[in-house]
Amino acid sequence: MLSKKRMHLPNNTHDVPPALDAEEAARAAHERDKSLTKHHFEPHEHPCVRIEHLVKTFDGETQVLTDVNLTVWPGEVVCVLGPSGSGKSTMLRCINLLETPTAGHILIEDKEITGHLLQAEVNKLRQNLGMVFQSFNLFPHLTAKGNVMIGQTKVLKKSKEEAEAEALKQLEAVGLLDRADYKPAQLSGGQQQRVAIARAVAMHPDIILFDEPTSALDPELVRGVLDVMRRLAEHGGMTMIVVTHEMGFAREVADRVVFMEGGVVVEQGTPEQVFDNPQHKRTAEFLGSID
Amino acid sequence: MDKTSIRMGARSVVAAFVLALAFALACALPSGAFALTTGSATAKPNEDGGSSVIGGLPTRLTWEATADKGDSVESVELVLPEGGSFDSSTTKITTLKGLERSKVEGEATPQGNKLTVKFSEPLVDGYLIRLEITDMHFPSEGGSVVVGGTYVSNGETKQLQDSAPIETIPNTLVQGIVNWLDHQPWVQAWNSNQFLGMFFKPQLIVTSLFSLLPGWFVCLGIVIASYPFAVVLGLVFALMKVSRFKLLRAIAIVYINVLRGTPLFLQIYIVFFGLPMMNINIDNVILGIIVMAVNSSAYLAEIFRAGIESIPAGQYEAASSLGMGHLQTMVNIILPQTVRRVIPTVTSDFITAFKDTSLLSSVGVMELMMFSKNLTSITGNMTPYVTAGIFYLIVTLPLIKVVTVIEKRIARSERGSGPRPKAKTAVAKEEVADAV
Repeated sequence: MLSKKRMHLPNNTHDVPPALDAEEAARAAHERDKSLTKHHFEPHEHPCVRIEHLVKTFDGETQVLTDVNLTVWPGEVVCVLGPSGSGKSTMLRCINLLETPTAGHILIEDKEITGHLLQAEVNKLRQNLGMVFQSFNLFPHLTAKGNVMIGQTKVLKKSKEEAEAEALKQLEAVGLLDRADYKPAQLSGGQQQRVAIARAVAMHPDIILFDEPTSALDPELVRGVLDVMRRLAEHGGMTMIVVTHEMGFAREVADRVVFMEGGVVVEQGTPEQVFDNPQHKRTAEFLGSID
Repeated sequence: MDKTSIRMGARSVVAAFVLALAFALACALPSGAFALTTGSATAKPNEDGGSSVIGGLPTRLTWEATADKGDSVESVELVLPEGGSFDSSTTKITTLKGLERSKVEGEATPQGNKLTVKFSEPLVDGYLIRLEITDMHFPSEGGSVVVGGTYVSNGETKQLQDSAPIETIPNTLVQGIVNWLDHQPWVQAWNSNQFLGMFFKPQLIVTSLFSLLPGWFVCLGIVIASYPFAVVLGLVFALMKVSRFKLLRAIAIVYINVLRGTPLFLQIYIVFFGLPMMNINIDNVILGIIVMAVNSSAYLAEIFRAGIESIPAGQYEAASSLGMGHLQTMVNIILPQTVRRVIPTVTSDFITAFKDTSLLSSVGVMELMMFSKNLTSITGNMTPYVTAGIFYLIVTLPLIKVVTVIEKRIARSERGSGPRPKAKTAVAKEEVADAV
């Protein structure tokens, strides 16, 4: 189970309060991000995710995130790249509190989540934050349809009929209507991941977090999943934070590409800026090694 | 006065009848009159009937009476159980004067269910009459029977005292089979082998199959009644053991370890002898159910805990990311998967629990083991134990098979191939086609 224990490093210099005035913070973030993203800013728009000086240490010694700062805007598609061990997944898991941040602040829609939250508040927060896992994590005892329904019936308290209609709609959207009554074990990896996406989308969250959704897939199955994600980005208007190694997808779909290494955001910008004209040596090296 | 001298059924009816008869006789006879006293009426157990008399099969009925002062018995008319039959030609009539066989002879004539014996000269005080009907068949439906009748003394017809009741057991299909087996040469040859006759005597297999049945039902009853409680208790303690609260964990650990760390036999002794000493008296079978439930619950708690902990962390994370709370996750996601995983282990535990009911025989619970022990001590033959083994296997073998089948199915589904209709490449192609 998730530990509620909170740790504070004695010499953590970043543990300062977040900018409290949301209006002011939004303006500053807008100023900073406007040249780095293809996102179309609305007037007086507030970021939906603000990560400030995020630190995560495991077992009190392994520091995975040293100082992460990132702002994500409503409807924006952010792809997070970086070598393994750079802290991408940990950052993502901190956003929905699957990992408890050691220090720093995360604000979702201007609400700080890095204080002492009640379990009920955490559950409420997570309803609004869909997550798609590298290893799918479908519920093996339920059918594809059952997987998509269970959050709606048990968490959103929708009626069975409503949930079923929504489940079938979402399964159709990921092209798996004919697999609605299959158990996960009867589906290929790619199909399982598409069901997992349908499961997350059916909750109608504002934000979906993708944690290396195609890394566990056979190469020939990757494309189906990426297509579903692309459609979601283009037509769904969903805010997506995608940790991925799929450069093609990032270049094509992302509003912003974030390169992380050693627990910090090394570089961020539009796909063109990062891929075609990387400012940092490490970014260039990483992209070079991938291509 | 009653004409019928045969009384079957409840003993009380017979007793009441005897009393009524005694009263009637006392009134009817002038004071100082004496009567022919019925000494005894006994039936020899049938061959292979164990210690019992079985209706419908030949047995030997022995009836004895003594003449008293003033008696001069000319004839006796015995009324034998209605529905039975006998062959008068084999009736042996003996008269004794004191301990010596007398010269008085008798002649038997049957008439329906009555047997009239006329004596060559009247029997006076001190004579003992013994009638042995060697081919007596009691009524097939069994029950309690008495022998009564009348006698003629000094020209007067008087009522005979009813004999003490003879208990007979119904002649059933089983007895028919046993009877048939008795006369089969191969059975005789089989039984003449010391080993086969001692452990696998066919007649005893047949009879014990039926007479052990109630014990088998008690075993099944105990385990079936106790197991649901054991499952619930086990689940509670499993959840306590994985709880975040230290106290709950500590209680669960003590409970589980003490019960798993001591023999069930000891636990049975403590409960069965300890509770009566505290003046708590509970029915043996109920107590057996309680002990079995508590003992099994400790093992089940460990099985469930292992099952819960075997569910990958990803399942908790996926449930959490949908916004489910701890309880919702447990009830909707973790426990349903745990149940599937633990079914084989729980079935194995059920098999153990079923076999362990035999330990309850040590404290006098009338279950299968106890029945077979009794039957063995009566017959001096090991076959009832072998039959008890058959009864245990009737339950355990199919369950063992079930465990194997489920384990195979789980192994297959965890490999991920499952009942997938298409080959992997076909799915892959389709996937690509879908994507395009």
